[in-house]
Amino acid sequence: MKKDSVDDMLARYFAPDVDAGDLARQVLEAARESARQSSRLLDKISIQATPRGVSLIRVERLEKPASAVARRLVERAREELSEYFGGKRAFFSVPVDLTEVPDFQKKVLAAARDIPFGEVRPYAWVAQRIGHPRAVRAVGTALGRNPVPFIVPCHRVLQTGGGLGGYFFGTDVKRRLLSLERTTPIYEGCTSTRIVCRVGCAHGRYMRPDNRVVFASVDDARSIGYRPCKVCKPQAA
Amino acid sequence: MGRVTRGDEAAFTELVARYGGRLLGVARRLLGSRADAEDAVQRALLQCYLGAGTYRAEWAVSTWLYRILTNVCVDELRRRKSRSGELEPPARPDPPDAHLDLRRALGGVPTEARVLLALRYVDGLSYGELARIRGISINTVKSQLQRGKSLLKSALVKGGAA
Repeated sequence: MKKDSVDDMLARYFAPDVDAGDLARQVLEAARESARQSSRLLDKISIQATPRGVSLIRVERLEKPASAVARRLVERAREELSEYFGGKRAFFSVPVDLTEVPDFQKKVLAAARDIPFGEVRPYAWVAQRIGHPRAVRAVGTALGRNPVPFIVPCHRVLQTGGGLGGYFFGTDVKRRLLSLERTTPIYEGCTSTRIVCRVGCAHGRYMRPDNRVVFASVDDARSIGYRPCKVCKPQAA
Repeated sequence: MGRVTRGDEAAFTELVARYGGRLLGVARRLLGSRADAEDAVQRALLQCYLGAGTYRAEWAVSTWLYRILTNVCVDELRRRKSRSGELEPPARPDPPDAHLDLRRALGGVPTEARVLLALRYVDGLSYGELARIRGISINTVKSQLQRGKSLLKSALVKGGAA
C-alpha cells in the first residue's frame, strides 16, 4: 500500500502504551480464583427429565429418570451445562419439558428464553412482553419457581434499577452467571475450515483451540471469507 | 514460552512485561478507553496463562497473544453493539484528546478492518502475521486494510480533519 497522510495519523494514534502496570500479578490472582471456582456448581445440581425434555434442575437429590430416552437427555443436559459453566457454550440445544407448568408461568419462561445470551432485561420488560404489564411481582414469583434454571435463563432478569433481584441458587450465583455470559463469546470461526459457528456447536468440539477466532457478527465473518455453519445456523441466533 | 507452558509464574511476569504495553495499545485503540482495555488485556492474559498448552511452537509469541487478545476485544465490541443496536461508546471513556476526529472516524470502520488496522499500526505486524492472527488470506488482509483506510479517509475529509 502507498504511504500517505492517513498512515502518519494512524501511526501517531496507535503508538503503544508503555506501562502495563501490575497486570501480571492481577492475572495470576484471577487464575488462582478461577481454579477454585470451576465446576463447583455443576457438582451440586441434580437433573430430572421426561422423554420430552429436561423437566427439573435442583440442588437436592432427584429421582433417576425411568426411561432410557430421559436418561440420555439428563446426560446431554449435564454435558451442555458443564460446557456453559466452562465458558464454552452460548446456547442450549437440549429440549425442556414444561407441560406441568401453569400457563401464566409458561408465558413468563418463554419470554425469559427470548433474552439473548449475555444480555439482561428488567422484570417489567417480561411483564410487558407477556401482555400483563402490571403483573411485575407475579413475574418475579414465576421466575423464582423456574423448574429448569440455567437452560431457561431466569438469571437474565433483573430489577428495573439494575439490582440483581432474587435467584433460586442465591444472588452470588446469579452474579457469577451474568459475569460468565459477559465473557463467553457467541460466534467463533475455525481458521482451517473458515466456517463460523455459534459457541457450543457440535462442530466446535473438533476445533483445535489454536484454530479459534471470535467474531462480532456473522456479517463480519462473511466479510473476510468465512461461511456460516449449516448445523447451528449462527445467522439465526 | 516453554516455561510459561509449564506454569512458571516468573516467566509469565516477564512475558507480560515484554508484551503488556503493546497489547494495551491495541485494546485501547479498539475499545476506546484505557479502563476497558485493561479489563480486556487481563482477560486475554488469563486465557493465555490457563491455555498456554495450546501455543504453537512455530508461531511468534506475539501472534498467539494477539490472536487471543483480538478474540476478547472483538467479542466486547459485539456485546456493546448488541445492547444498543448500534455501536455504543466505551463504558468508561478516556478524556477527549487530539485524536478525537480519528477516533470517531474509526468508529465507522467495520470491526474486522478496524482490528487489522490496529494490529498493523500498533506493532507494525506484517500481512502474513495479520493473516495468521485472524485466519484469513494475505489478499483479504490487504483488501480489508485498503477498505478500512479509504473509509477512514472519506470520514476524515467529511469531518474536515484531513
